[in-house]
Amino acid sequence: MGEKEGKEKKKGGFFGAVKEFVYGVAAHDSARFALKSRASMEHLFILITMGDMLGVPILPPYYSLRLLPYVVPQISTWKRRMLREKDLTDALA
Amino acid sequence: MVPISLAKIFEQYPDRHYIMFGGKGGLGKTTFSAAAAYYLAKQGKKVLVFSVDPQASLSDIFKKDIFGKGPTEIMPNLYAQEIDADHRVREYQQEIRQKILDMYGMDKIPEEIESYIQAAAAEPAMEESAIFDEVVDIVVKGGYDYYIYDLVPLGHALYYLSMASVYDAWIGKITGLRQQMREYDQVAATIRRDKDLDEDAILNELLYIKDRINKSSSILTDKQKTAFFFVLTPEEMIINDTLKAAELFAKFDVPLSGYIVNRVLPSELKGQNIPEYLKHRLDMQDHYLKVIDEVFKDQIHAWVPEMERDVTGLEMIEKLSNTMFG
Repeated sequence: MGEKEGKEKKKGGFFGAVKEFVYGVAAHDSARFALKSRASMEHLFILITMGDMLGVPILPPYYSLRLLPYVVPQISTWKRRMLREKDLTDALA
Repeated sequence: MVPISLAKIFEQYPDRHYIMFGGKGGLGKTTFSAAAAYYLAKQGKKVLVFSVDPQASLSDIFKKDIFGKGPTEIMPNLYAQEIDADHRVREYQQEIRQKILDMYGMDKIPEEIESYIQAAAAEPAMEESAIFDEVVDIVVKGGYDYYIYDLVPLGHALYYLSMASVYDAWIGKITGLRQQMREYDQVAATIRRDKDLDEDAILNELLYIKDRINKSSSILTDKQKTAFFFVLTPEEMIINDTLKAAELFAKFDVPLSGYIVNRVLPSELKGQNIPEYLKHRLDMQDHYLKVIDEVFKDQIHAWVPEMERDVTGLEMIEKLSNTMFG
């Protein structure tokens, strides 16, 4: 939000600021969108590989264990997200 | 009575390095695996016979405890192996724990993760998957002219075979999803002008798993390299079940190479003074031998007589292998 400062300071700084401004106006949202989609997919991915943690056995356990180390940090947020019910307040948050 | 003998079959198809015997429980799969291994070893081929059955009986037939000991030499050129699935699962769990500790510099596995690791090991499919994975190790490692699979009974064998194709399809799907995720990462990185994108370790793991499963299923369905023999006995139920199973196996593209009939009571008995009971058995057998002949025709490669005693120990294995390949 705070990158809309097109003020003149120095020459290099000016171009840098313009670059950031343009990024903020044009691309920031797309990047955010891409990352948000990516995050939802991450949760979907963990669901279909580690689903048995929630009682949904999907991948053969021998191979899902192989993937476990990589998703350790996401496990708790993922569980919360999956077990939480969607409601209107989600849109406000 | 036998159109093409087993010995001829092996001669004709020297590229078939993976030999499997399938059939209902207790018909002689392990016995034939051992006898075939013996025969090939005597021919100067280096042979590994291994069991994919958690309740393996190779130890019993060779009269040597080989359970979980890796490939064990039984006689020159003949090696046998029984996979200890439990041990492999335990080792594997430990590997996973260590990986987590190393990756995140933890000194203890979080409770939630630990309970998952333990629960996963208790799943019924775990043992089979572990054996499945070890078989890939065995085959990829190489070093033998022949690999003889002492298979599990039919239902399980089907499960084992279908596991390969189900795993394959499933892993293909999630690898696709992972690749898509990777594309989003790339989009975000390009927009933000980040130069480097970290390698996706999970994608690499998935590709590794896919490769393992492909190796195993490609062997099971390779008509050039694999021979699958059905074992049956002259009894009505067994004949029917074998026909059904053969159909199912064909659906999974398993290259059926023929049938071997086991436990044939010697017909000379009929001329002797034998009790009514045995006479009935012999008449019944005659009938079913005819049925087998009509149904399977030139696909029968050996008729193996019922032995006078259990086939255990090399001496009996030799005797059986002589009648099987003779």
